[in-house]
Amino acid sequence: MNYMPGTASLIQDIDKKHLVLLRDGRTLIGYLRSIDQFANLVLHQTVERIHVGKKYGDIPRGIFVVRGENVVLLGEIDLEKESDTPLQQVSIEEILEEQRVEQQAKQESEKLKVQALKERGLAVPRADTLDEY
Amino acid sequence: DCPLDEDEDAFQALGEEDEDIDQFNDDTFGAGAVGESPSVTPTPPRARGSPRPAGLTPCPLADDDWQEAHERLAELEDKAGSSRGSDGPVGNDGDVLGDPEDALAERLTRLVIDSELEDPAIMQAVHTRDPPQQPGGLNSSIWDSSAVLRRIRGPLLAQEMPSVSVLDYALPQRPAQARDEERDPSERALPRRSSSPIIGSPPVRAIPIGTPPKQATIPNFNQQILCPKPVHIRATMQQRYPAPYGERMSPNQLCNVPNSSLLGHPFPHSVSPVLTHLQRAQLLGGAQVKLLPAGRMSPSQFARVSGLVGSPLPSVNPKLLQGRVGQMMSPAGGFRAFFGAPPAPPPSQLPHPPGPGSHLQNLRSVLSLSRRPGRSLPPSLTAPALPRPQPQMFRPDTTHLHPQHRRLLHQRQQQNRNQHRSLNGSGGDRGGHRSSHQEQIRKDPYANLMLQREKDWVSKIQMMQLQSTDPYLDDYYYQNYFQKLEKLAAAEEVHGDGPKKERTKLITPQVAKLEHTYKPVQFEGSLGKLTVSSVNNPRKMIDAVVTSRSEDDETKEKQVRDKRRQTLVTIEKTYSLLLDVEDYERRYLLSLEGERPALMGERKQKISDMYDNLRGKAPGQDRPSDDHFVQIMCIRKGKRLVARILPFLAPEQAADVLMATARNLPFLIKKDAQDEVLPCLLRPFSHVLYHLPLGTVTSLVQQLTNLPQSAAAPSNLHLTAVLQNKFGLSLLYLVLSRGEELQSSDTNTELMQDNQWTELMLMATRELLRIPQGALAKPVSIPSNLISLFSRYVDQQKLNLLETKL
Repeated sequence: MNYMPGTASLIQDIDKKHLVLLRDGRTLIGYLRSIDQFANLVLHQTVERIHVGKKYGDIPRGIFVVRGENVVLLGEIDLEKESDTPLQQVSIEEILEEQRVEQQAKQESEKLKVQALKERGLAVPRADTLDEY
Repeated sequence: DCPLDEDEDAFQALGEEDEDIDQFNDDTFGAGAVGESPSVTPTPPRARGSPRPAGLTPCPLADDDWQEAHERLAELEDKAGSSRGSDGPVGNDGDVLGDPEDALAERLTRLVIDSELEDPAIMQAVHTRDPPQQPGGLNSSIWDSSAVLRRIRGPLLAQEMPSVSVLDYALPQRPAQARDEERDPSERALPRRSSSPIIGSPPVRAIPIGTPPKQATIPNFNQQILCPKPVHIRATMQQRYPAPYGERMSPNQLCNVPNSSLLGHPFPHSVSPVLTHLQRAQLLGGAQVKLLPAGRMSPSQFARVSGLVGSPLPSVNPKLLQGRVGQMMSPAGGFRAFFGAPPAPPPSQLPHPPGPGSHLQNLRSVLSLSRRPGRSLPPSLTAPALPRPQPQMFRPDTTHLHPQHRRLLHQRQQQNRNQHRSLNGSGGDRGGHRSSHQEQIRKDPYANLMLQREKDWVSKIQMMQLQSTDPYLDDYYYQNYFQKLEKLAAAEEVHGDGPKKERTKLITPQVAKLEHTYKPVQFEGSLGKLTVSSVNNPRKMIDAVVTSRSEDDETKEKQVRDKRRQTLVTIEKTYSLLLDVEDYERRYLLSLEGERPALMGERKQKISDMYDNLRGKAPGQDRPSDDHFVQIMCIRKGKRLVARILPFLAPEQAADVLMATARNLPFLIKKDAQDEVLPCLLRPFSHVLYHLPLGTVTSLVQQLTNLPQSAAAPSNLHLTAVLQNKFGLSLLYLVLSRGEELQSSDTNTELMQDNQWTELMLMATRELLRIPQGALAKPVSIPSNLISLFSRYVDQQKLNLLETKL
C-alpha cells in the first residue's frame, strides 16, 4: 500500500534500522518502531554512535523515545552496506577520550582566535550581536 | 441508628418551634439532653451534632417514606464509595458519582439561552457530558465515550480498592462487565477534576487529541480463542504471583498458533501477528486485580493519574508491589500502567534482591510484547555490554537483554519457525514473497509493534493536514509542482500512444470554508452580559500601552536605523500587494462574471498603491525627491521588487521609475557593489524602453550620461561610473539602441528633439572614445544597431576605434 505518493512519510520506514541525527549533535542508530504525527520516534535497540575523526564508538542505550522537534534528519540504514565503512570502531572508553581531546583542542583554538581578535581591536562575533540585516 | 432521621426532624421542627426556644437549653444542658420523648429509648449520640428538639420522637412514623428513601440513597452513596466490585454492575455506582457532573451539565444547558451557541468551545464542553452509551462487545472501541468513562471514573475517584475476587473477573458469566472494566480504564481521557472549568475551555474530548484510532474489528476466530481465555489463564495461576515466565504461555504464543497463517505480509490488513493490547488484556484479564490487597489502588487507577505516582503506596509490601509490577500488562493496566505506575518510583521503593528478577523479567517480556516499548526499564537489567558477535543462535543485538528474556525471545522464534515449517507445505502457493516476509518477521520479533491501524491513523492525520480551504494559498509550491507534473504527463500522453502509465498522485483536496460568526454566550438570569473567555473569544489580560518615542531623544544612528526599517516595511507591504496583483489573473479565471469588474478595480487600486509606495506617498505636483525610491533601491529585495512591479505600471509611471534610476545610477551602483542585483532590472527596463517615445529616450540618455556638462567639471564621473558598471553600460546601450531605432524608423520626429539627440550622441561618442578600453565594463549584450548609430556621428576612423572598444 502506497501511503500518500509524492510525500515524505515515515510510515514506510517502520521496523527498519535508522540513523537519527538529533539537534544536540547526537547520532542514534536504532530500529524505528513507532511514530506519530509530530514525528516523535520510538527507537528500539538504540545505540549512540560517537564519531571522532576516523574512529567511532557505540554506546548501547536501549529504547529511545525522541521528541519530533529534536530530530534534524534521519535515514534508513542499508544493512548490507552497513559494515562497509572506512571508519574504525573502537571501545567506548577510547572514543570518549578522543572526544574529550577533540573538544579541548577546539576550545583552545577558539580561545586563541578570540585573543587575536581582541588584540587587533576587532569585535568578537557573538550570536546575539550579529548584524541585523 | 438513624442519624439522618434526626436531621430531618430537626429541619421540620425548626419551623414549628419558635416558642420552644427554651427547650433547646433544656435539651442541651438540662434533663432534655437525655431525651424527653415519650418513648424512653435512649437516644443515640448525635452524629451530626444538631440539637434535637424535644417533643419529637427519633423516628416519627409520619415521615418515614421520604426519610427512608433518603436513607437508602445515602447508604447507596456510601456503598458506592467502599465496595465497588461486590455490587452489581459497576455502572450504577458510577452513575451516582457521575451525577454531579451530569447535573451540572444539565443545569448549564438550561441556563444558557442560546441553544445554537456559536462558540464551539463552550457547546462542545456542554455536550460531551452525556453522549449516548455505546453498545458493549468485543468489537466496540476501547476509547469509548465519556459516559462509559464516567462509570469507571466513579470508583477510581473513590480511591479505594475494589476487593474483587479474581474469580469474579474471570468468570465467563460476566464477560460484559469484565470487558467493560477492561475496556474503560484503557480509555485515555483525563481524570475528572474537582473544579472542572467547563465553561469556556476548549472542548473536553471524549477521545483526547493524541489518541490512536478506535479498535478495528477483530476477526472471529480470535474471539473464539480470546473470549473464554480469562478462565483458562486464571486456572493455571493458583498462586498470587505469576509463575515463572517460561512455564506460562505468553499471549503472543497463544495468538501465534492461530495467527500464523496470517504471518506474511508485514502489514496485514486485518490482524497483526502481535496481539492487540485488547486481546492481550483479555487474555490476562484474570490476572489484573488479584494481587491487590484491600485498600490499595488498582493498577487501573494509575492510568493518567500521574499525580498519584508513588504517593499512594506508602506501606506497600514490597513483594506485593513486585507482583503488581509483574502484572502490569493487565487490561486496565495494559497500557496505562505504563504511564503512571510503580515502575516509576521503584528504584527507591523496590528492593533489588535477586528475587524480583523473575517478576521484573515478566515486566520486560511483557513490555516487549506490549505496544509501548518506550517504558524505561529498571536499571539493574540494562547491561552496558557492547554487542558482540555470538557464536550461538542468540542475536548479537540482544545482548543487553536479560538472559531469560533472550531465551524467551528465541523460544518464540523457534516456535514460529516450527509453525512455518508445518505451514510451508500448505501455504506453498503464497510463494517466495511470503516466505521472505516470514523470514523478516522471524528474525525481528519486535516487528509490527505499530499496528496497521495506527499507521493508518497517522496517515489519516497527515492527510487531514493537507486539507485546506485555499490550497493555492496554503500550499503554493506543491500546487505548482503538481500542475507542472500534470502538464508533463499530458504532454507525454499526447506524444506517445503507448500504454498509459497509471501513477497514483496525491491530490490535496480543497475543503469549503465555513464561516463562523461568533456570538458571545448569554446566561439566563444574569444581570447584563457575562464575559466568558474561550478559545474563540479570548479576553484581554494585559493592558499594554504603546509609548512612542520622541524625536529628539534619538541619536543619529537610531534615526538611520529606523529609516532603514521603515523602508524594509514599505518593501514588505509592497510585496504583498504585488503578490496579490500577480494572482489576479488566476482569480479572474476562477471568478464569476459579475465579480470581475470588482476584481479589476481592486487590481488597479493595488497597482497605484504600489507605485505610491515606491515613489513615496502623495507628494506635491512633481516628485521633488527620489529619496524614497533610492532607499528602496539600495536594498536587494527592493531592486527585485521594482523589477517585478515594472510590468504592471503604466508607461508614464514606468518611465518615471527609469528616470529616477538613471539619475541616481552612480549611487545605486556603489550600493550594489556587493549584491550585484541591478542586472535583474535590465529586462523589465528594456520592455519599458520599447514603448517610450524619443523625447523620453533623449532625456534618459541625458540622465544616464550626465551630459551636457558644465565646462568646469573636469571629468564626467557620472558617465564614468555608468560605463564602468555592467548594468550601467548595458542600460546605456539599450537606451542608445532604442534611440537609434526610433531615429531610423520614424522620420517624422520633431526637429528639436532631433537636434537634442544629435548633440547628445556627439558628446556621448566623444566620451566613449576618451575612455580607455580596459575601464569599460562588460555589457550583458550589445545591441546590433549601435554601429549604425555611431556611424552617423563619427567618421570612419573613429568608428573603427569604437568598434574595437566595444
